[in-house]
Amino acid sequence: MPRPEENIITLTVDGRDIQAVDGAMLVDAAAGGDIEIPVFCYEPKLGGPVGACRMCLVEIEGIPKLQTACSTPVKDGMVVHTQTDRVKEAQNSVVEFILLNHPLDCPVCDKGGECPLQDVSFGYGRGVSRFTEPKRHFVKPLALSPLIAIDRERCILCYRCVRFSQEISEDHQLVLLERGAATFVSTFDGHPYVAPFSGNIIELCPVGALTSRAYRFRARPWDIEGSGTVCNLCPAQCNVTLTVRDDRVLRVLARDNEGVDDGWLCDKGRFAYQATHSDERITQPLVRDGDRLRPATWERAIQVASGVARHDGAVGAIVGGETTNEEALLLGNYLRNTLGSNDIDSRDGGALSAGLLRALADPKIQATVPDLEYAHTVLLLDVDPVDDAPVLDLRIRKGARRNDMQVLVASSRPTALDPRAAQAVRHAPGSAASMVLALDAALNGDGAAGTHAANAGADGAEVRALVEALEQSGEDIVIVVGERVTDGPAGEAAGQALLRIAAKLGLGERDGAGILEIPRGTNGRGLREVGAVPTAGPGLADLATAGRSSTEIATAAAAGDITALWLVHTDPVRDSQNKDLWIKAIAKAGLVIAHASTLSPELAEHANVVFPAESGAEREGTITHPDGRVQRLRKAIGAPEQVKPAGAVIARIAEIGSSVDLGASVGPAATEAVARAVPFYEHLTAEEIGGRGIRWQEREAAANLQPGSSTGETVAPQPAASPNGALRLGTFRSIWASPEVEISPALKFLSRTPSAELSPEDAQRLGVTNGNSVEVAGVSATARIRSDVPTGNVFIESGVAGGASLPADGELVEVKPR
Amino acid sequence: MGKIDELDIIEVQRAPSPSTGASFFRAFRETGRGLATTFKQLFQKPLTMQYPEEKTPVYPRFRGRHKLHKFEDSDLEKCVGCSLCAAACPADCIRVVAAENDPDNRVSAGERYAAVYEINMSRCIFCGYCEVACPFDAITMGHDYELSDFNRSDLIFTKEMLLADPIERTPLRNEDE
Ligand code: SF4
Ligand code: SF4
Ligand code: SF4
Ligand code: SF4
Ligand code: FES
Repeated sequence: MPRPEENIITLTVDGRDIQAVDGAMLVDAAAGGDIEIPVFCYEPKLGGPVGACRMCLVEIEGIPKLQTACSTPVKDGMVVHTQTDRVKEAQNSVVEFILLNHPLDCPVCDKGGECPLQDVSFGYGRGVSRFTEPKRHFVKPLALSPLIAIDRERCILCYRCVRFSQEISEDHQLVLLERGAATFVSTFDGHPYVAPFSGNIIELCPVGALTSRAYRFRARPWDIEGSGTVCNLCPAQCNVTLTVRDDRVLRVLARDNEGVDDGWLCDKGRFAYQATHSDERITQPLVRDGDRLRPATWERAIQVASGVARHDGAVGAIVGGETTNEEALLLGNYLRNTLGSNDIDSRDGGALSAGLLRALADPKIQATVPDLEYAHTVLLLDVDPVDDAPVLDLRIRKGARRNDMQVLVASSRPTALDPRAAQAVRHAPGSAASMVLALDAALNGDGAAGTHAANAGADGAEVRALVEALEQSGEDIVIVVGERVTDGPAGEAAGQALLRIAAKLGLGERDGAGILEIPRGTNGRGLREVGAVPTAGPGLADLATAGRSSTEIATAAAAGDITALWLVHTDPVRDSQNKDLWIKAIAKAGLVIAHASTLSPELAEHANVVFPAESGAEREGTITHPDGRVQRLRKAIGAPEQVKPAGAVIARIAEIGSSVDLGASVGPAATEAVARAVPFYEHLTAEEIGGRGIRWQEREAAANLQPGSSTGETVAPQPAASPNGALRLGTFRSIWASPEVEISPALKFLSRTPSAELSPEDAQRLGVTNGNSVEVAGVSATARIRSDVPTGNVFIESGVAGGASLPADGELVEVKPR
Repeated sequence: MGKIDELDIIEVQRAPSPSTGASFFRAFRETGRGLATTFKQLFQKPLTMQYPEEKTPVYPRFRGRHKLHKFEDSDLEKCVGCSLCAAACPADCIRVVAAENDPDNRVSAGERYAAVYEINMSRCIFCGYCEVACPFDAITMGHDYELSDFNRSDLIFTKEMLLADPIERTPLRNEDE
């Protein structure tokens, strides 16, 4: 559904003329005219009003009874009074009523000082209560989940948390049990409320009934400072405010940005701040001494690392998703201009040609995050937002729930959005490229559609039905593309097919339509745009000679062609599927430099020098959102003494090793260097980016992007293997599979162990039951039986600590019970 | 110059020239008075107090060094670490870091207690707002005013110091003193 049109009307509130959007709720309209009407249950983020608390009563001329301002839409010429005696009396009474059963234990309550109930009682209450009977009592505080404490005595039954669970995250876990004064919030059977977005209810609760267990009693609002930055744990890049006390991050709150996160956070973003202060984090430079890494001085570490200059032409660099644009640009410049190597990559699945990257970056076919809410149709291509960019999952649900948006899914593994989808088509793992080709062919009425669908291991009729739904759904179509789609040798072909689909559907002609590519790494898009890919320089410029992609780098290193490996904010042994290859590569390389906060045991065994990495709260720089919004990471706290910005380290290594000056390495000057290097970021400054970020497509400089078309070699995708007794291997990386989760005390309980998802039929055939230990391709995993997994496939979780090397997606593997 | 007008002539009256005795008296009268006062004081009780052996007594509502209190029966701390005193303090010299009580090993009566409670006495202006703010009468202003030290950081009073009774008590002034 396209964005609604807005009609401006005029109404009178307390004798003041106020302009408002027709149909807006009175509370919002009045707020626009600087008139405050107290509310508890009203929260526009939760959708329609429920009118549960009656706090917002006002007098409207022509209506005899007082009305709830939160659920009364405004009309032209409406006359409203919020200050009359009747209204005051009603407000006093509602406050008194709400406080009947409230324990008023503010001094021990974590909400004290930032509690809407305190504020409203103070501002609109009578100040005394006539209630002398005993109040209701509950056992308190209880753990609603390992992350959230619930104090039921304090609950004012505003339904906010329940509405969040039912209508926003749609996990349907929280409910109100019992009736009347005995009502309380709970999961229906009392199980812990564990869900990817559960932490949001802490911020939603207008009283201290739901509080964070990690933040419990840590500070009062007057002890703390808020520091705005961006979460750098996944490509959704939610805007956050860090609560800082004594130079430590104590809490993460959402910093509502309609263009990015809509005011929600996932639990990883909300609680993984603890990794910053974890004892397990590396906080000093380590240098190999014999068979062990030992703490060393900075001079020594830089000296060892600057040995990279002696590996002229044989240096490979892998840039992790958390790297900022500034750091990646510095490293790319050093590598390309001084060390004579184009072997730098930030993607895991192989390189795409610079022309294709430019064509995909075309501002016209770029969808924005809000488009996900207002489109007619959203098509997910081998991406599961809840794992790949969690907060977008909520955005798509919002569109589907409120705007009747159609959701279509084409993926190998069942997604969390399947229940919302009008159609969900499965294809074989690793065959996303064939799927895209099939969609393209079907859209063009090309007879090859059936072949491509068969190659993808998908049902031809289903694919045709999907395309039909796509064609009939209205013009605003957003295609959300996972990075897997362009993985592997057929990536180039898949990218071209995507462009053809976009052209056929006319995505470039409409504002609300387009493609949204979700990279694996947080800053995947920015890294590509500043040239941390083997095929393109800064600004996606063509290169005279292309470098090697990450897998090729690893192969070359294992063969001894590349002798120095530079791993910035990444641990390929953990992040890459082909661990064995990477272990060989780092074992063989003469020099392995890592910038990291944690190390896998293998990397710890082979790295020559490890520089401690700054955490997100300590880092400064810019990152680019998948929809092109350049955002700023801002330093909230000082880094531990021995932790230095990666940019400064790279510049210092270049200075000592090669006597070159890379220019500004940190701060606004480094951002300006990025703006100079990338033509379509031209003149972009930290000030312009500001607190909300700015999409580069919306700036004049966007015209500096050279048009491009795919120049790469197109390889037809391999047909999907037919299972024939064995199972096709698929992988997925869960939202929780990250080192930050493992070293954050609050989130530790969510850290993952390798698991294998099987369909019930396959499980039965193999004699496996849920929770059994199974062996998949020589890797042991816990079996999880899911009815929506298509038969013939097994999905193994990747990115887990201690995970083992896996074949590529789509290969046949043996699954054996153990 | 013209003729002087009769009316312009004024008659000046002069005091009689003093005698020797009177001059002498005039010169030494004040000295004598001063000496008389001196001699009179010689026989008075001295006002100087022999501080620090002797201390100035204070009125009961004198606002001196703070005290934190415990419940007498249960020996639990009254302070729950709510930080309201810190919020009220105009000199910003109170620091409270709260923590959760272990039900088996309680420090205070409520869910939380003050794990760290510090007052920086070198900044405190002894306004008593903290005492007014405290919802549990956990902190009160004591009478001790002897707050000097060789080191500024020694003037940061910790919870243990504030909970302990001061060693020397300041005498209180009687009603009619
Ligand atoms: S919820 Fe608010 S009003 Fe209730 S005890 Fe907590 S701070 Fe006080
Ligand atoms: S727990 Fe909080 S958010 Fe939920 S109903 Fe009670 S007061 Fe509202
Ligand atoms: S007496 Fe006043 S200045 Fe001193 S600690 Fe208390 S509130 Fe602060
Ligand atoms: S002394 Fe009183 S006001 Fe201060 S933290 Fe303790 S209980 Fe709260
Ligand atoms: S805010 Fe209007 S009824 Fe609750």
